[in-house]
Amino acid sequence: MTEAALAANEVALRAGAAPISNEVSGGEIVGLAGLDGHGQERFLKILAGLETAASGAVSFGESPVHGFYDAVSKGIAYLGRDRRATGIFSSLSILDNFAISTVWHDVRSGLISRRARRQRYESFKERLSVVAPDPRLSITTLSGGNQQKILLARLMAMEPQVYLLNDPTRGVDVATRHVLYGVFRELAAAGTSIVILSTEIEEILLLCDRVLVFREDTVAAEIAGAEMTNERVISVMFGEPQ
Amino acid sequence: MRASDSSLATLWQRTSFGGVLLLVLLIANIFLNPPRFVFTNWGTLIGLAAPLIGAAIASTPAILAGRGGLDLSVGPLMGFVNAIVIKVLFLDNGIASPFVIVPVALITGLVVGCINGFLAAVLRIQPIVATLGTFLVLTGVTLTILPAPLGPAPDWLKSLAGPLSIVPLAAIFLIWAAVKRLPIFGQLMAVGSDDRAAFTAGVPVTQVRFFAYAFGGMLSGIAGLMLTSLIGSADPNIGPTFTLTAIAAVALGGVSLAGGRGSITGATTGALVIFLLQSVLTTFNVSTHLLQLANGAILVTAVVLTALQDRLQRGGAR
Amino acid sequence: MTLNRHLFAAAQARVVGALLVALALHAAGTLLIPGYSSPFALRAMLVIASILAVASVGQTLVIILGGIDLSIPFVIGFANVVAAKLFGDGWNFGVVCAVVAIAALLIGGFNGYISRAVGIHPLIVTLGTGMTVQGAVLLWTAGFPSGSAPQAVSDFVSIGGSIGPIPVPLVVPSVAVMTVVIVLVLALTPYGRRLYAMGSNPQAAALALIKPVQMWVITYALSALFAAMAGVLLLGFTGSAYGEVGQPYLFQTIAAVVIGGTVLVGGIGGYLGTIAGVLVLSEINTVLIGLGLSASSIQAVLGVVIVALVSFYGRERHVREMI
Repeated sequence: MTEAALAANEVALRAGAAPISNEVSGGEIVGLAGLDGHGQERFLKILAGLETAASGAVSFGESPVHGFYDAVSKGIAYLGRDRRATGIFSSLSILDNFAISTVWHDVRSGLISRRARRQRYESFKERLSVVAPDPRLSITTLSGGNQQKILLARLMAMEPQVYLLNDPTRGVDVATRHVLYGVFRELAAAGTSIVILSTEIEEILLLCDRVLVFREDTVAAEIAGAEMTNERVISVMFGEPQ
Repeated sequence: MRASDSSLATLWQRTSFGGVLLLVLLIANIFLNPPRFVFTNWGTLIGLAAPLIGAAIASTPAILAGRGGLDLSVGPLMGFVNAIVIKVLFLDNGIASPFVIVPVALITGLVVGCINGFLAAVLRIQPIVATLGTFLVLTGVTLTILPAPLGPAPDWLKSLAGPLSIVPLAAIFLIWAAVKRLPIFGQLMAVGSDDRAAFTAGVPVTQVRFFAYAFGGMLSGIAGLMLTSLIGSADPNIGPTFTLTAIAAVALGGVSLAGGRGSITGATTGALVIFLLQSVLTTFNVSTHLLQLANGAILVTAVVLTALQDRLQRGGAR
Repeated sequence: MTLNRHLFAAAQARVVGALLVALALHAAGTLLIPGYSSPFALRAMLVIASILAVASVGQTLVIILGGIDLSIPFVIGFANVVAAKLFGDGWNFGVVCAVVAIAALLIGGFNGYISRAVGIHPLIVTLGTGMTVQGAVLLWTAGFPSGSAPQAVSDFVSIGGSIGPIPVPLVVPSVAVMTVVIVLVLALTPYGRRLYAMGSNPQAAALALIKPVQMWVITYALSALFAAMAGVLLLGFTGSAYGEVGQPYLFQTIAAVVIGGTVLVGGIGGYLGTIAGVLVLSEINTVLIGLGLSASSIQAVLGVVIVALVSFYGRERHVREMI
């Protein structure tokens, strides 16, 4: 069985910008790079259905994607950039923060089963090696890295086929980073696709099969394989003539 | 031709929906009720609208301060000032001099405003709760001092009801204009739009918020005097009714309840809109019941339209 | 950070604290006022507290959501007058309740929709809707509400009522059961968890598959529904309809919620706290009346008490801690 592919078809980030056509297939890790504000974040959000393109369309498999909820129902999950502003619920517990997007999974005869929720949580806790003594405590008792793991667990619990990650290792310590990298590779090996926007080129070089480098609201270059080097990516980012 | 077209467009862009509504309502009133809205009668009309304008302006500083800033005590404070001035000063002690009454009103307002500021800004009790507390205390105390309406008011105060109501209004506008020139006003707007950024930039957030409540309290004192002029007596029940209408007026005038955006012109416009609205409805000679129904419905409609126009404008600006 | 660590313990401490205040007030009342703990006085207090508890359900939910509902007193008055009139006109009471409930759900849903979808502060929206509803009621009854309550409702809330050997009217155990249900709904249903999430961080909630407008519509509709229930109960309690009957509930519901430790910024608190707040308010009221204070003095004292209680545990963080 071939995995369905998430495709951007002639997507223009703004009127007049060169349209982008690209496809991410199952098992692939694709990086998005570029100087801040050159369109990579907007592209990721368009893929997630959170923003609409000036022209063009996004499709998954054979069917077009219309908006965020449609994307989610098709198995496309998005992780926001600012953990505090768009990620965690600071007045809720670790368990709540983990389970909120999949609350229905724990419902047994009308009520949430605490045991079911706890079991689900424990399996992810192990997989992501979360360091959290008591999951009933507030999420703010965790370190930034562990909060990020909880947010990733929230996403993974939805069992998506495509992960759209907006700078997932921002403000995360080195040890946690490597745990996250391991998880991303595992997910890809299992056939899911991952699109990672990262501000750190090393990270993209380390993780990704190929990278789309953005400049002036379009993809200035797509680089893969042996050509994926620090110098090459940076020179495209800064628009140096190739 | 073309130039005037585009300047009209920018005028429309700049005027809030409240401004347009004000104009429409004014024309409607003049058309529907010529004798009442004849130019020579405008003095009386301003006198009728003055307390609400005062209340709306007094409500504005706390709202500008942001993070849920709100002063529910404006109305009861006006009633309290009304009771102090008439019952305590004039009737009980025979003091009629404006040189005592005006300072007492201002200081009473200022003191209550400082209490609000202490509760909301220094103790950091949520403003709705803090000023709800002062609302209840002031209403209770006013009723205790003055269980039933009582009159009259000193003559000079009553004479400020008609065309001369422009005097206290002008005083409010002048005070506002003066405060606007102070650095603290800029700080207030900064705190209201983003208190974290303001704090990082070195703005003393707590002091600025305290100032907003104190300033609003003092303005409520003046509004209380205007109310006293208009009713020419002391009435413990009228004051509290101003709170929510004033907040509605402020919102209609484009002052953002999220803080940091709005002006005294906006608050005044909003108050005038509500006044003219009530006036239009009265000319139809409808029952007071229908009046209230229409009042509420039009308030919601107007606020919705204001929000939509605001959204359109921002969409256009983008 | 230590503050956050004890977030949950702190929330429970607030509930316990408010309950202790209520108990202390009760003890003081019993000591100071003869007959304070007599069966009749206790029953009266429980019935009045039960009605306030019903009226405060909606305010609790809406404040957890991050909003506020000023239309509650108007909806109470609306339900009170409309139910009496329709029943007086000979309608079946079940039909009357259904009509009132549907109308209330529509009013509340409108509040939630306009506040969230158009983005207008709920303070203004609910105030405007409230005024409109009250105007409509006045217009319909021409200011003179008529009709009456069915005997069953009167018995349900009658101070002299009893259930077999238990000397309280049915409303008291019913509110106890309702409390259990609401606490369960908040703690253990998807709606409850999403309500807290929405109040805690609306932006994150939207990414976590919580539909903001839907949450606001449902929650405000529920708020109006409970207000309408309180209005019908008050009809049974007073025996005749009165459009202004809800007015004291504007500030009392907010006060009960806030005293119970639910925070106006949203996402924190719960209904048990509100119940504790309701008990505190009822005790204060009864003690002050018992001490012979006038209604206006009671109001003043209430204002001081609310501010004093909230200053103990309801304070917001300093800006410097938010950066």
